[in-house]
Amino acid sequence: MNIDTTFWFFDRISEDNLCLLYNGNFSDEITNKVIELSEYNIRNNVSLSKLKKKTSFLMAECFQNIVRHGETENKDGHINQGFFLTKNWQGVYYITSGNLVENKKIDELKQQLEKVNSLSKEELKQLYRNVLANQEISEKGGAGLGLIEMARKSGQKISYHFKDFNSKFSFFYNQIVLLANEIDFPKSSCSFELSEAIAYHEKMSAHNIWVIHKGDFSQESIFPVLKIIEENLQKEKKDAGYKKKMYHILVELLQNISRHCYIAEEKKEGIFMIGEQKGYFVINTGNLIENSNIPTLEKQLNQINSLNKKELKALYLEKLRERSTPLKEGAGIGLIDIARRIISPINYSILRINDTKSFLTINVIA
Amino acid sequence: MLTKLEIRETRETPYILLDKEKNIFKIEGNSLPENANHFFLPIFKWLDKYSLSPNKETHLICDLEYFNSSSAKLIYEIFLKLEKIKTNETKVWISWFFESGDVLIEEKGLEYKSILYIPMEIVEK
Repeated sequence: MNIDTTFWFFDRISEDNLCLLYNGNFSDEITNKVIELSEYNIRNNVSLSKLKKKTSFLMAECFQNIVRHGETENKDGHINQGFFLTKNWQGVYYITSGNLVENKKIDELKQQLEKVNSLSKEELKQLYRNVLANQEISEKGGAGLGLIEMARKSGQKISYHFKDFNSKFSFFYNQIVLLANEIDFPKSSCSFELSEAIAYHEKMSAHNIWVIHKGDFSQESIFPVLKIIEENLQKEKKDAGYKKKMYHILVELLQNISRHCYIAEEKKEGIFMIGEQKGYFVINTGNLIENSNIPTLEKQLNQINSLNKKELKALYLEKLRERSTPLKEGAGIGLIDIARRIISPINYSILRINDTKSFLTINVIA
Repeated sequence: MLTKLEIRETRETPYILLDKEKNIFKIEGNSLPENANHFFLPIFKWLDKYSLSPNKETHLICDLEYFNSSSAKLIYEIFLKLEKIKTNETKVWISWFFESGDVLIEEKGLEYKSILYIPMEIVEK
């Protein structure tokens, strides 16, 4: 994951109110936090409040599909490896998920999907009842009820795609849409294609990115993000000291976005991504900043990057002891403390958007 | 008598107990509020009042799991207020706890210790 990857994503999802991309292991703990994060974002968006219950339900359903049906490729030790996307764009809520399925099961799954997509609301209700009453639950549970429920709750057709993975498995992607206002919304405008979501997933896999979150970075939304990442760190079996260090870097970077980003419509918007590279963790953050703040920030970052670890410690202690009334927070102390704990300087880039704002990307490896 | 200050722990702010009567002084848990000033202000006010007639011995227990860098400055401010209490007649010291293997919190303790003029013991839990 290099520094340009951040803008690649930001550029594509900058109009989204929320976009959460997840590429990795699925456990109940992680899925609960993903739902919590989405709920937080929905709560803060009046036009979407009606959808809150439905989206939570549908997300839970997708996660169950991934956890229950997603096949395991044990060679590289991944368990329930899957892809999940949730985004809100122009009043439409998209939920996309992807998991591995055995090639021999594709035909049956296709048939189920085609059937569900061909039925009316009333027919779906009938089918749901029939399946519930008659069909035996398969050994993995479910019995296709999930797909029926997804179609019923969304009221729209399920888009899907199978992509070759290897001789035994394929990646099964599906996408459902929820409209905040079905009457006003012409279906042709739902133009976020499944192929675009798949392109995101491919980019994430190619760059080993686990999580991308674009949205509001107020304090409340930081906790679910931290939890998702903590859970992932848990699986990497790093020692406690390393985990704490990563946690610290994450908190400082996330709060940095919240403190310094350009505030549009009362929202503190930014993008955050975390991935892995050669056994290290890579974190990228991106946010818009006011052009007038650039000189100070650049000076600060360049100063920090010119110092060695010993000098950084001295500067940290100096800033810690600096007193003022009222006590000023920050003053770059967070960035100094990050620089002390990473393996290379703080990479950053500033891309001018227009006369008032620019896009700042920060990239750290720890 | 100065009434005690007790603040319940939340997921972003620590548990605080400042009790002159029972002679217990504690800060425990997590501290990562975005606006840390707001949280620490009542603590500073309490300590200012306490410094007017402090107990013979003041022993502060710091058992923090995590704190962000803006809390770091304010935690140091607590220590500075304790430094001011110390006279020939009064004893003031701090115990800094860290979980075994938690290099970050251990290191933070050692850093404070290096810039403080009152004794601080670093204790592995």
